[in-house]
Amino acid sequence: MIILSFLRVLKFSLQDIGRNIWLSIVTITIIVLALFTVNLLLVVNEISQAAVESVKEKIDVVLYIKPEAEESKIFALKAKISNLEQIKEVKYISQNEAMDNFKNNHRNNPEILQALREIGGNPLTPSLTIKPVDVDKYEEIIAELSAINNEIIESRNFDDHKIILEKINAISYKVKEAGIFVSSIFVLIALLVVYNAIRVVIYTHRKEIGIMKLVGASNWFIRSPYLISSIVYALIGIIATLLIFYPFLTILQPYLEAFFIGYNINIISYFTDNFIKIFGLELLVASLINVFASLIAVGKYSKV
Amino acid sequence: MIKLFNISKFYKPDIKALNMVNLHIKPGEFVSIVGQSGTGKTTIVKTLIGEEKVDQGKVIVGGWDITNIGQREIPILRRQIGVIFQDFKLLPKKTLLENVSFALQVCGQTSKKINYIVPQVMKIVGLEDKVHRYPQEISGGEQQRVAIARSLVHRPKILLADEPTGNLDSINAEEIIELLLKINKFGTTVVLVTHNRDIVNKLKKRVITIENGIIVGDQAVGKYIL
Repeated sequence: MIILSFLRVLKFSLQDIGRNIWLSIVTITIIVLALFTVNLLLVVNEISQAAVESVKEKIDVVLYIKPEAEESKIFALKAKISNLEQIKEVKYISQNEAMDNFKNNHRNNPEILQALREIGGNPLTPSLTIKPVDVDKYEEIIAELSAINNEIIESRNFDDHKIILEKINAISYKVKEAGIFVSSIFVLIALLVVYNAIRVVIYTHRKEIGIMKLVGASNWFIRSPYLISSIVYALIGIIATLLIFYPFLTILQPYLEAFFIGYNINIISYFTDNFIKIFGLELLVASLINVFASLIAVGKYSKV
Repeated sequence: MIKLFNISKFYKPDIKALNMVNLHIKPGEFVSIVGQSGTGKTTIVKTLIGEEKVDQGKVIVGGWDITNIGQREIPILRRQIGVIFQDFKLLPKKTLLENVSFALQVCGQTSKKINYIVPQVMKIVGLEDKVHRYPQEISGGEQQRVAIARSLVHRPKILLADEPTGNLDSINAEEIIELLLKINKFGTTVVLVTHNRDIVNKLKKRVITIENGIIVGDQAVGKYIL
């Protein structure tokens, strides 16, 4: 009997969606708009985070080595630095590599290349390029590197990354803060809009709810079709959002790549990698709001 | 079948819809409750289906004391009483067949039983050819007949008809009354709430007259006296 009742409730629910097709379309459209807005905010947040991370990624410390230093000593120093906890990567650039890189970087500048030829030989020094694990601990790393006393070190380039880092961190913090604030407002608006849409759907059915009660339908029997409809609306809303959002991302991606040249921003893979987390959570939240709104609205109109 | 002991119902601020009403309706009776609008007729119907609770007195329907009926028990009560209203109260998005079947589906009847009972009641009310139509596609008289069919599917011992002819022309109204008499002949207690003088006078059945929430007349073969 429970299975029979459940199947009937399911049938009524789907019948109701079909027979009130325009109301259903409007409700689903509102859900799609709300979800699209939330996802758009995720895109903005991800882009800003990726941009900030990319800039951080470019920050490194360079130790210049004396040209006459033996490679074995250089490798020993490299190994010593690599063993430090805060160091992510140490890259050795030999004198010849440094020259190749220099030529490559200035290949379009004949005056510099001419000057290099006039100097003769290789005036560049070998170096160790050090990337930190966490750029926020930049000062600690510099302190550690400064403590290393090695005769082969010619000079240390610690530059004024500190100021850049402070600026990046400030921007990053502001972006996060603004993102959370704007997202919260939009999520709240989306919640209220969806909640209200479901209530309107049930308001239009208030007469029917009264009739159902008069012929002896239990509260469960009256509420269940609306609860199922709510979940179906949320499910269709998510599917429709996916169908619209992924083509939108595909269109957006080349523009992002063109705008952020040199930065590794792939918004499609971000959504694909976090698919279950993002869309699963959105389905859950949308369903919960719809179910919550349905329970309140049906309860209100079924007091007969 | 129906017993009301000194029931009173008050609405804020100081309206006495029913005032110390005593009433006893026996099984198989056909009783008309008459009175002008706002005299408390519909309040009696609402009390009998658990929609309103009385402030004083005791209400017994079919041996069941429903004076303080709980929310969970109301659906069970309503499955035992047939009710029809002036505005038919049909579900507009369901066909006539679905409207009538719905009353059985809500209490978990099997499809086999529904498919057996529903065509029978649709035949009784003479709408067996229009079962797949929607309420808005048929006349008011036919809609009321569907409502009667729906009220009959549970084979109720009591049928409450609250102004069932209020929205109908005289010919359709007479057809509905004929149908109610036919149902009464099968043994169902019928309580007809109306202010239609002609219908009551033609019936020559028991008439209870209410005025300002008080029973002012109760005649075994009565007339509309107000």
